Amino acid sequence: MRGTHLGEFEELVLLAVAALNDNAYAVVVKSEIEEKADRKANISAIHTALYRLEEKGFLESSVGGATKTRGGKSKRFFKVTAYGFKSLREAQSLRQSFWNAIPQLSTQK
Amino acid sequence: MKQQQPPVLLRKLLKRIISPEIYDEVEGDLAELFQERLHDMSMARAKWRYFIDVLCSLRNFGLKRKLTFYNPLVMYKNYFKITFRNLLKYKGYSFINIFGLALGMASCLLILLFVNNELSFDGFHEKKANIYRLDEVQSFGAVSEQKVALSMYPMGPNLLADYPEITDFTRYWTLGRTLVQYKDQSHYTENLVRVDTSFLKMFDFQMIEGNRYSVFDEPNNLILSETLAKRIFGDENPIGQVIRTGEGDENQIKVTGVFADVPDNSHLQFDALTSTKLWDSEQRRNGWGSNYLNTYLQLANNTDVEKLEAKFDDFLVKYMGEEVLEFYSLFLQPLSDVHLGSMDITHDYNNHKKFARSSVNIFLILAFFVLLIASINFMNLSTARAATRSREVGVRKSIGAYKGQITGQFMMESIMLSFIALIIAFLLSFAAIGPLNGIIDRNLDLSFFFQPLHLILVLAIAIFIGFLSGVYPALVMSGFNTVMALKGSGMKAGKSFFRNALVVFQYAIAIAIIIGTVLATQQLNYMQNLDLGFKKELVVTVNMYNDTNSKYELFKTELRNQSNITDVTATTQRLGNNLHQTSMQYRADTALINGSSSFVVVDNNFMDFFEMEILEGRALSDQYANDKAGLSFVVNETLAKELGAGDREVLGMPFHFGGNDTLGVIVGIVKDFSYNKLNLKVEPLFMSQQPWGWSEVDVKLRADKLQEGLAEIEAVWSTLYPQRPFEYQFLDDHIDKMYQSEQQLTKVISILSVLAIIIASLGLFGLASFTVKQRLKEMGIRKVLGASVSQIVMILSKKFTALVLIAFIISAPITYYMMDQWLASYANSIGIGIGIFLVVGIGSWLIALLTVSLQSYRVASSNPVETLRIE
Repeated sequence: MRGTHLGEFEELVLLAVAALNDNAYAVVVKSEIEEKADRKANISAIHTALYRLEEKGFLESSVGGATKTRGGKSKRFFKVTAYGFKSLREAQSLRQSFWNAIPQLSTQK
Repeated sequence: MKQQQPPVLLRKLLKRIISPEIYDEVEGDLAELFQERLHDMSMARAKWRYFIDVLCSLRNFGLKRKLTFYNPLVMYKNYFKITFRNLLKYKGYSFINIFGLALGMASCLLILLFVNNELSFDGFHEKKANIYRLDEVQSFGAVSEQKVALSMYPMGPNLLADYPEITDFTRYWTLGRTLVQYKDQSHYTENLVRVDTSFLKMFDFQMIEGNRYSVFDEPNNLILSETLAKRIFGDENPIGQVIRTGEGDENQIKVTGVFADVPDNSHLQFDALTSTKLWDSEQRRNGWGSNYLNTYLQLANNTDVEKLEAKFDDFLVKYMGEEVLEFYSLFLQPLSDVHLGSMDITHDYNNHKKFARSSVNIFLILAFFVLLIASINFMNLSTARAATRSREVGVRKSIGAYKGQITGQFMMESIMLSFIALIIAFLLSFAAIGPLNGIIDRNLDLSFFFQPLHLILVLAIAIFIGFLSGVYPALVMSGFNTVMALKGSGMKAGKSFFRNALVVFQYAIAIAIIIGTVLATQQLNYMQNLDLGFKKELVVTVNMYNDTNSKYELFKTELRNQSNITDVTATTQRLGNNLHQTSMQYRADTALINGSSSFVVVDNNFMDFFEMEILEGRALSDQYANDKAGLSFVVNETLAKELGAGDREVLGMPFHFGGNDTLGVIVGIVKDFSYNKLNLKVEPLFMSQQPWGWSEVDVKLRADKLQEGLAEIEAVWSTLYPQRPFEYQFLDDHIDKMYQSEQQLTKVISILSVLAIIIASLGLFGLASFTVKQRLKEMGIRKVLGASVSQIVMILSKKFTALVLIAFIISAPITYYMMDQWLASYANSIGIGIGIFLVVGIGSWLIALLTVSLQSYRVASSNPVETLRIE
C-alpha cells in the first residue's frame, strides 16, 4: 500500500471523520471516538492524527465556524478525500479477504 | 453569563508550542473542550485538564499543515517548460545571455587548465617534497649579486658526507647535443646528460627496460629515451648494444636501459643519460670554484631547511677557505619552486619552459575577472528581462504562489541557463584548445575536466555562478506587487541603480584590462626593438665543436671568399645569453686589485662585425700581436667606470683574469651593449681573444641574399666537416626567443582583454535594448511632438555615455598605479602616456555608443503610430 499505510488509531480517526460527514473537527472527532470506541484520547493525539492524515492526502480541510465557546477561534473542518475513501475500502477489503479465507480453512478441517 | 477563559499563562505556553499556522484552530479546540468541561466539573479540575492538554500538545511541537495537493514535480516541469519557452521567445537575448557567460566560462576553463599544467610541473616524483636544488648566490665585486642555478662538482658528494640530514644527492651535468654512432650511422642525441647513479632513485622517471637501480653499474653505461632508442636501433633490441661517441675505446658506450620519454611537465628534459663516473677524475673531485652543473639533494623527512642552509657557510669555508664567503653563499630551492620560482635565477640552463609564478597569478586574476564580467552580464540581463515577465509573476502570485516559490523558480532558471552555458563553454574550449596550445607552447588536454572530482567541482562552480547571478533578479521578481505586475509594470523606477552600478563595474574592469594589455604589449615591443648596442640583423650563428674548431681558420677564410657573405667572426658565448663570469685583476696606482666581471672570448673582428661603438681607445684587431696573444682587453662602459674610479686612466691599465698576474693591458672601451635580456641591467664585461676554441661562428649575410648565403655556408661546412650535419640559427630569432614567456603572456592577455570587452558589450547591448523597449512609448510621443531621429538617439545614449565615463574615471587611476608598479620592474621601460588612456577610454565609449545606438536608432526611426499603438 505504497508506504502511506494506515495506523490503527489513524484508521479510527479517518473512520470517525467519514462518519461525521461535514461536521468533523478535532473536538467532535475526539468525542466521537470516545463514544463509539469507548477509549480515552487526548485532544493532542487527535490533532497529530488529523494533520498527519491531511499530509498523507487522506483528508482535506477548510476553515470556518468560529464560536464564542472557542474564544472566537475558527475551526478546521476535515473531509475524507477520494483517496482516503479508497484507502479505507482497501483496508476493509484486505480484512475481508482474510475473513473470507478463514471459514474456508475451517470447513476443510 | 460571563465566559470563563482558560488560564492566560497556559495559553501563552500553548502559543509557544504550536506553530502559528495552526495555532488558532488548536487553541480553539482546547478552549471548546475547556468550556465543555466547565459544565461537568469544577473550575480547578477543568484548569488542570486544560493544563494536561497543553502539556500533551508538546508532541505537536513543530506540527505544520503541509499541502498534500502540492505536487512539486508538476511545478518543476512547468518551470522547465516556461524557461525554454522564454529562451525561444527571446532568441536574441537568450543568445547574448548564454553565449556571454559561456565565453567567460570557456576562458576560465582554459586558464585553469593552463594553471593546473604549470602547477603540475615535477609533481610526478614521489619524493618531491624532500628534493631540493642546490643554488648559489654569487657576488663578484662590481657585478651585482646574482642567484645562479649552478653548483660545483665536489659539492654533492661532500655535502652528503658531512650532513646526516642530506640522504642522497645527484648531479645533473649536461653534455648537450652529442653525436653518437651506431654501426655506420650517426645520430644526434639532443640532450645527453651525465648524472649520478642515484638520479633514478631520487626522480621517478619511468623505466621501460633495465633496472633503475643497476643501469649505471659500469662507468660506460648509457640509457636512452624510447624515441631515441627507436631512432638509433629501429626494431632491434637496444639493450647491450654498443654505441660510440667518438674514436677510441674509451668512447665505447653500452646501452643498459630504455626510459619512457620525459613528460613535458618536467623541468629536467633529456633523451639520454649516462653516469658521471666516466668523467670523474681527481682534478674534478677537487674542482672547487668551477660551477658547471646542477646539484639536487634529497633531505631526510622533517629536515629544517633553514637550519641546514645556515650550515652551508661553514661548509664553504671548510673546503674553500675563509674568503670564499665574499663571493659565494648557498641556498636550497624546493623542487616545486624550480619551474615557477626561478625567474630571478640566472645560468638556469636546465629549466624546461620556465615560467613566472606572477604570470600564473595574472592569468588567474584575469580569468576571474572575465568570468565576473560575464556573470554580471548574466545577472543584468536577467534583471532587465524581469520586466517582460512581470505578468507571468503576477499570474503565478495571484493563483497562490509563495514568494519563495517565485524566487526558487527564477533561481532554478538561472542555474539551468548556467548549465547550458557550461556545455557551450566546453564546446568552445574544445575548439579553442588547439590554437591556444600553439600560442603558449603547451600540451593542454581537456580530459582533465572529465575526471569525476574535477567534473563535480566544475559543475559546482556552474551552480554557484547560476545561483549568485540568479539571486538578485529572483528577489526582484518575487518582490513584485501582484497588481502592478499583472498590469505589466512591475519594475519601479529607481530600481535600475543596482544594474547601472554593475554596468559601471563591468566596464571599469574591461577598461583596466585593456589598458593593461596595451601597455604590456607596448613594453614588450619596445624591448624587442630597443637599440641593443650591436647589430643583430642578418647574422647567422653556427655551433662549433671540438672537431670543427681545428679547421676554424680555414672555415673562416673559405666563408669570406663567398660572394653573399660579408663577414665572419667567432665567440665562446652567444649574445643574448647571460655571460659567464670570472675573476680579474688590475693594477691601479701599483696596487694589484682583485675583482670579478662577465667575460667573453671573441675573435678580433668581433666589435667591427657587430658594429659596436668604441668610446675610447680601439677595438681588438688582427694587426696587433698582443691582441692575437690574448693580452689586449676591451672593457665595456660599466666596467670602465669601476676601473676608472678616482679619475684613473683606464686605457693602458694593466689587466688580466683568472688568477694570472696583470700581464695584459686594456686597449679600448666599448659602449654598453645589452648582451642580456633587457629587463636586466648591463653588467661589467670585458672581452679578449684567447686560443680556447670557439663555441659558435657568426656569419653576416647580404641583406637580399639570405637563402643564397645560407646555401654557401652549408656548402663550405659540408666540405670541411662532412661528419656533422649543417645547422644554424638567426641571431635575431634567438634574441626574440628570450622574450617568449612575455610574448605568450601578452598574447593570452590580449585574447582575454578582447573577450572582456566583447562580453561587456554584449551585456550592454542586451541592457540597452531592454531600456529602449521600456521607453518605446515615450519615444513615440516625443516623435509625435517633433523630436528628430538624432535627438532621440541622443536621449537614449546619454545615460550609457555617463556610465562608461564613470567606469573610466574609476578604473584609470587604479590601472595607472598598477601598471606603473609593473613597469618599474624593468630596467628599460616605456613611460605611461595620457594618450593610451584617452584612446582606450574613447574607444570603449565608442563601442558602448555604437552598441546602444544600434538599438536606439531602431526605435528612433520607427513609426510612432506603431509604437503608440501597443496597447
